[in-house]
Parts: sequence; structure tokens; C-alpha cells
Amino acid sequence: MSWLGHGNPDDHGIALRVDDVTKTFKVYDERATSLKQFIAMGGRNKYEEFEALRNVSFEVPVGEAVGIIGHNGSGKSTLLKCMAKILTPNAGSITINKRMAALLELGAGFHPELSGRDNVFLNAAILGMSRPDIARRFDDIVAFSELERFIDTPVKTYSSGMYVRLAFAVAINVDPDLLLIDEILAVGDVTFQQKCMEKFVQFRNEGRTLVLVTHDTSSVRNFCDRAIWIDHGEVKADGSPADVIDEYTETMLEAQAAADGSMRRGDGPLRVTKVDVLVSDTRMDRVRTGDDVTFRVHFETPEPVANPVFSLSIASLTGIPVTAPSSRDARAVPVSVDGKGHVDIAVRDLSLIPGSYTIHTEVSGWSRQHLYDHLQHARTFDVLAGDSSEIDGLVTLRPTWTWSGDGVSSEIYDRALPPSPDDDGIT
Amino acid sequence: MSLRTAVAHRNLLYLLSLKELRTRYRKSVLGWAWSLLNPLSQMVIFTVVFLYIFLREPPIGDPSGLEVFPLYFLAGMLPFQYFSISVTASIGSVQEGSNLIKKVAFPHEHLVLSIVIAQFATLLIELLVLSVAFLIFGHMVLPWLAPMMLLLVLITMFTIGVALLLSAANVFFHDINYLWTIVAQLLFYSSPIIFVTEEIPFAWLRLITSLGPTGSFVRASQEILYDGQWPSIERWALVAMYSITSLLAGAWVFNRLSPRFAEEL
Repeated sequence: MSWLGHGNPDDHGIALRVDDVTKTFKVYDERATSLKQFIAMGGRNKYEEFEALRNVSFEVPVGEAVGIIGHNGSGKSTLLKCMAKILTPNAGSITINKRMAALLELGAGFHPELSGRDNVFLNAAILGMSRPDIARRFDDIVAFSELERFIDTPVKTYSSGMYVRLAFAVAINVDPDLLLIDEILAVGDVTFQQKCMEKFVQFRNEGRTLVLVTHDTSSVRNFCDRAIWIDHGEVKADGSPADVIDEYTETMLEAQAAADGSMRRGDGPLRVTKVDVLVSDTRMDRVRTGDDVTFRVHFETPEPVANPVFSLSIASLTGIPVTAPSSRDARAVPVSVDGKGHVDIAVRDLSLIPGSYTIHTEVSGWSRQHLYDHLQHARTFDVLAGDSSEIDGLVTLRPTWTWSGDGVSSEIYDRALPPSPDDDGIT
Repeated sequence: MSLRTAVAHRNLLYLLSLKELRTRYRKSVLGWAWSLLNPLSQMVIFTVVFLYIFLREPPIGDPSGLEVFPLYFLAGMLPFQYFSISVTASIGSVQEGSNLIKKVAFPHEHLVLSIVIAQFATLLIELLVLSVAFLIFGHMVLPWLAPMMLLLVLITMFTIGVALLLSAANVFFHDINYLWTIVAQLLFYSSPIIFVTEEIPFAWLRLITSLGPTGSFVRASQEILYDGQWPSIERWALVAMYSITSLLAGAWVFNRLSPRFAEEL
């Protein structure tokens, strides 16, 4: 196995070396999928080359936890797939000196008809484990997943939570020296996530190497020793998480602002200084669908301002507005404010579905003729899966589904996600 | 991927084959019985056609002395069906494994090999049943199972080669699937399974049916099981030549194309 390779002597203490890697994809204008088309097109497909990675180089020393960040389409996932040996770079090389496991998807290769036990063995084998290794760790895996009672039932009967727990338990027990992870820290319920976090910390404390690819900067900040920012297929910054993430966030917001106009408008004197997102009086970067969330808007003003109207606009990172409550609509405008203070906008049972959101704030006079302060992207925050399993759209309306009709079975198809083509069918 | 990688992943190959066997007859009432019912129903059909419609005499096994058309049919059909079903199931296997290929690094050929292994297990059961039938008709077939195993090794090499070639090509051109349906039919009717080569009046047709890639191993299988004689050295050489060529070509093409699967799927 290439990841058992011994490397060269210079690589002592280096777990992973990415050396001048370039990866291009063919983007087909017209793609022949049948021989007839292929021949009709003169035996060649028309395509343009798209450079997903350009001359990327870095080293990861043994024992380091590295976060790779970048916006969607920056090339970070391509980089991960190259490191995982799923894709082959067009130029440059990637050397791996440790036993590697790559987790791009939980439960890859799970078969719904097989029991949990069989799937543990199959999934672990896909991740490169030998049979004696799996047999030795089997009890740990089952204990971690807390599915002892269900381990001999087919996974098609599992709930999505159970499915993810089993998949994660296998993945974390593959026991590699170098782990590559793609966005899977946010799985399962809070308790299970806590457990996963502890496992990762233990993993790090044992001196193993971790590469995490994510757009969630807070997990990089909390968890990694180093951050690498990939932008348009190139390494844009490489250094301490705090520095790199600040630079990254700033550039992201500037880019957003350049598209939306300036970051801050208004004539003052009142200014919004910051916005906090709180759950149970604790400041959070990430909340969950269904949480009771408080948005705390801090402001200051050198002179008294009469009946200021505060509004808060929550939008998706792609710019789609979701809601825009204002203190005037809520009949919550104080007669006057002065000095420093904050206003809490409390929301019960958050209906935003998982994703990243941004908050714009605006303060104006009662008639809205006079704009005191408008702040774009005063705050961004992430929403994780909570009490709703909806994934499309922006909000959940918490609907109830009721069926009628003689031909409709009363039994509900209770099936673990993700679905497979076997789920479809005409009965 | 290199041979070393494939060996390191032999556990995966074992488990994929097991999965293939365990999930094949899921949700079917008769389950594993289907793997026997399929060749048996064909045997009945072709026996009726051969004996009662075309009014042919069953071939006489030399030196076994057997004169039983159903046994002659199965001796050729079982290895042929092992080959054709393996290839049919393999063609879509890379496509079906696309999610895995895009998410995990593993030897892609295991998707194909596991199908052939599972079909091989099925074939062994079928041959066991066939052997009992031979014994009932008074032909002591058991010593002949040793050369049969040797022949099966060659047939398996041939099957794997074709399966690797077509499953890799199918990633790029989906009409391989339809093409194969026609080719499989051609191969079936050009192999002496439902007729006897020696009875064909045209010399060139006799040549095609006994020297073709499937015809040659079908003849070898009939000679071993039905006639009870060693196939000629020329026949062994021919079968071996087809097998080695197929395996080398299939493995070469598959290895060339498999690094591109993750992008193309």
C-alpha cells in the first residue's frame, strides 16, 4: 500500500507532504455517452480544462492538526481527494508516510439489507482494515455506537441517527496515524457529537496527525494547530488558525461587501458595535434548529437618540433574506437611548434549517427617513441539525403529514438515511 | 492499483463477495433455489426442443457411453452460464459502485472480482448437483472433477479478463451493456451447447463452434464431464491461450482506466 510507504530519509517527522500539486478537470462542452455520438463527434470530446489546484505545496509534521479552509469551489475538496488517493494529480506528488484513513463520507458502502454487524466488517474493510484488526476492535465499535441491541438487525431498519452513529464508530476505530476528514464533525445529536469531539481530542493527544477540510472556521479555531486557506486552487495563507481565519473571514466579508455595497452606511451618531448569538446565556458560533436563541445587539452613542428603530435582517450566506424583524413592528422602541447598551432579540424554537447565515443590522429614526447606522454582515453564524431533519430551503415550518385514501398503507416506511436506489419501486 | 494493494485489501474482496452472495436473492421467496431453477428450466426447454421438435438423437458419450441430452446440455451450459452471468453482472458494477469510488480509495477491480467469486460459488453448487445426476445415470464422474477444476481456473481467468474490460469501458460508453446482450447471444449459439459439433454439415461452421473462445471451453467441459475423456493437448492450449490473452488485456485496460473512474462517474 502506498500509505505504508517508507518515504525518503528527509521525510523524518513528516506525516504528509504535498509537493507542487496541480489538478485539472476536463469540463465537457459536449460529452459522448454512447459510441454512436462518440463516432459522430469525430472520435473526440470537446472540452475545456479547468484548473482546480495549481502548484499547491505544504508539509504536515507528525502530530499536527491542520484545518484546510476555503469557500465552496476553492479546490479544498479536490485537494482532500488527491491526498486520499481517490483522484490522481496531473503534476506534482503527494507522499504519505503514515497509515492513513480518509473519511469523506460516513458509512460508505453500507448495505441496507445486511446486519449492523456485517456492515461494520464491510465498511471497516473498505477503509482498509484487516479482518483480525476489525475482530479485535469490534466490541469497541459497537460500544461506541451504543447499538448493542440492534447490531444483528439489518441497517435498513435503523433511524438516520443510528446509521450515523454506527458509521462514525467504525470510522473513528479504524485507528490510523493520519486521519483526513471532510466536514463530518457535525453529526448526530449533541451528546454523540460531544463523544466524537472527545475521541478527536484523545486522537490528537496520542500524537497522531489530523487534516480537517471544512468551511466551518470555528471548528478549525477550536481544534487545529494550523490553518491552510485554499483559494482558487492555490494556497492563499498558511499559519496559525487565528491569523489565517481572520484574514479569510475579512476577505470573504469584503468580497461580499464589494458585491453588496459598503459594509457600513449611515450618519450616526448611534453605532452598532457587535452582535452576539446566545443560547442559554452562552455565546455561540453554532446553534441548532429548535434552540431558543437570543440575538444580542450591542450599541453605543455619544449623545441621546430618541425612539431609535432597530432592525435585524437574517440572510443566508448566498444572500437570500430569511426574516427581518424590527423593533417598530414589535412595538418595542424605547423613547430614548444614550451611552452603551444592548438589546436582546429572543427567538424561541429556531426554525432555520442547517446552514450558514449572516446578520445585517440597521438603526433608523421612527419614520425611517433618517438612517443612523447600517452594518452589513455584523455577524455570521452556523445552524446545525437539531429537532428537524429538513435540509432543503431555509426554514422549517414544522409541518405535520397526514395521509388519506383507501390505497394508502397505514404503515410508515421507516428507513435509515441516506436512501439507496433499492428504496424506489412500484408495488 | 498494484498487486500489493490488492493483496492488502483481500479482506475487502472476501467481504464484498460475501455481500454479493448474501444479498443476491433477498426478498425472494425461493431464495437460493433460483440459482438451480434457472439452468434446470432451460434444460427442460432445450431438451424438449432437441429431442421432440428437432427429433435429434442425444450424443453418445465416448467412452462414458452416456446417451442423455439433459446431461450433455448442462455439462456445456453451466460453465458457459458462469461466464455470461458473471460478465453481465460485472458490466454495471463499476457504475453501481460510483459512490464508493468517489469517496474511498480502494482497488476498483474488487467490485468486479467479487461478482465473479460469488458466481463461482454458485457454479460449484450447480456442479455438485450435476455430479449427483451423473452418478444416478451410472457415470462415475468424480475422478473427472479434478481436470474440471483445472478447466474452471482457465475459464475464470477468461471471465475476469472480459469482465474487467467491459466494466471499465462501460464507465465511458453506456452502450457496452446493450452490445454485450447481443454478443452473449452470439457466443451462446456459436458454442456447441444445444447442438453437437460433429453433426454440423459445414466444415467452416464446425470450426467456428469448436474453436471459438467459449466454444473451446464448452467442448472441453463436455469432454471431461459427459464423455469422460481428457481434452486433447491442442484444446487445452487453445483454452489457455484465450484465457491468458483475455486476462492480460482486461487487466491492462482496467488499470489504465481506473484512475479516471472517480472523475468520470
